[in-house]
Amino acid sequence: MTITVNKKRLYASAILCSLLSAPTYAANWLALQGTEPDSAAPRAKVWGFIQPEFSSTDGTKLKAGPWKGQNAIFNQMRPNLKTNEGFNVLRARVGVRGTGMPLDSNVNYFFLAEFGNNGITAEGGGSVKITDASVTLNHIPGARIRVGQFKTPGSEEGLQAIHVFDYINFTNATNGLLLERFFDGNGSGTNVVPGTPPTFNNSGDANRPNGPVSAFRDTGIQVFDIFKVGQWEHSYAVMIGNGNGITRGDNDDNKETYLYWSSELVFGGAGARRQGWKLFAWNQNGKRTLITEGAGEYDRTRSGLGTTFKKDKYRAAFEYMTADGMIFNGTDGGALPGASSNNGQTISSFNVETKGEADGMYVHFGYAITPELELDARYDVYNRMTDVAAKERKFETVTLGAQYFFNKKSRLIVNYEARKAEAPNQASTSNANQILDSIDDRIAAQLLIIF
Amino acid sequence: MKTAIRVMLLAALATMTTMTNAAQPEDKPFAEKKVVLQISDGDPSKQTLVLNVAGNIIRHYGADKVDVEIVAFGPGLRLLFKNNANGDRITGLVGSGVRFAACSNTVHNMGKKLGHDPELNSNATTVSAGVVRIIDLVSDGYVLVKP
Repeated sequence: MTITVNKKRLYASAILCSLLSAPTYAANWLALQGTEPDSAAPRAKVWGFIQPEFSSTDGTKLKAGPWKGQNAIFNQMRPNLKTNEGFNVLRARVGVRGTGMPLDSNVNYFFLAEFGNNGITAEGGGSVKITDASVTLNHIPGARIRVGQFKTPGSEEGLQAIHVFDYINFTNATNGLLLERFFDGNGSGTNVVPGTPPTFNNSGDANRPNGPVSAFRDTGIQVFDIFKVGQWEHSYAVMIGNGNGITRGDNDDNKETYLYWSSELVFGGAGARRQGWKLFAWNQNGKRTLITEGAGEYDRTRSGLGTTFKKDKYRAAFEYMTADGMIFNGTDGGALPGASSNNGQTISSFNVETKGEADGMYVHFGYAITPELELDARYDVYNRMTDVAAKERKFETVTLGAQYFFNKKSRLIVNYEARKAEAPNQASTSNANQILDSIDDRIAAQLLIIF
Repeated sequence: MKTAIRVMLLAALATMTTMTNAAQPEDKPFAEKKVVLQISDGDPSKQTLVLNVAGNIIRHYGADKVDVEIVAFGPGLRLLFKNNANGDRITGLVGSGVRFAACSNTVHNMGKKLGHDPELNSNATTVSAGVVRIIDLVSDGYVLVKP
């Protein structure tokens, strides 16, 4: 009789666990980055990862335009743009996470700092930057609150943990639309008038970023939670942030809003490589303020939707995104920022279109041949400034990759990127298309170890 | 006379039953091995480890052939908090007959720090003191394992 009662309790518990809305703690970026396992988290867990890499292009020079014969920015190694080939420690991050008081699961924190050489550390001074510093309060059922600096709820490519990213480089659309660079001006003040002192609009200003890239992060407050219903896991997030990236305060009164939803059919497993089929959608909306060339406030909106699939040996992903408002528009003539044109009258600068439209997408397939070896293929396209025919550019990349797992915490990634770009509304003989024809394919190898 | 014999037999039967119960719980009548697992460490990886060990013991001997009790005290009591992330695993082990004992002393001491006693997993049975429970079980022939 006692056994019968226990079994009934067991079944009841199991059914309750599976049917009632309850938080879960794995394979969901909101949960993995913003929460800790209830009553099973340490006071302080030290962790991190290192990503040394080698990258190479042919270093083809610009084929046309005012900087013809000079280095092309898209063929140089990021972030320093000094060479087309070389070694770099792209990321080296160390973090601490856990609960301040292990007895109380209602409060947890997440801290991460970047020591590598990339868009986070190369701009804004200093060689180390804090990428994440947040506290999560879990007191309200269905509405966890995360405050501080952390990844914003949005695109899968940006939101996912970078140490489980299947490729070395981001897709064109994600790089151009979401990995935000912050500028003081729109880049129009690049003319140099020989023999006269620089003026506000003729300053020879390369319009370099005024600090680190966004790294898909912002500082603000997020309300979110995760709900399990049967085999499905649903999550939402609403965030308000400065819209001014990392390691900065706000620079205006405008606030960025972020909306995110995902639903995932969980097949099994746990953690960042859990198996499942996920659907998601997101939107972020705000304004940016320029204070030098083109001073003013400008709208900036991004939206997207997509899906991911991972089961047994197979992986797949698709995401489509659109942009409206402020859009990063590369450098003048595809030259390096600060490079003087061949006639000496113009400095190439970074440019921002203050009102434009763009869209892009990527599709990814992966297949694990053995537990150690996975092959990947990705196609991505980015259509920039689609609302102005003369300015429209189309970037396409096919990436073939292989990942060799030495163990679960360390792997080698090799990528070959077949890259091309065009100005679709201009003749093939135009300067724009000849410049874009300078783009080389790129090969890169990266070692990754997580500790 | 017959009545007296009946009373004596019943008394003897009752005594034997009591002795049997003292040796092993009534839901493990065929247990050939008895193990008590101690968790008193705050390291979350120890939670996983002690549950893994319990599962391995059950798989090796069979649920009916081994009696396993996990005694949690000190920082290890977090394993038996109501909201512990391992709740599903605990439920599964309970289904295989594993028992969970929570130390009352630890509950009260944690309550002083939290301002209220922590809520425990409904599958946990409170005992006056975790270490005393272990001593008693060892006296009854249980093997103590501290993963």
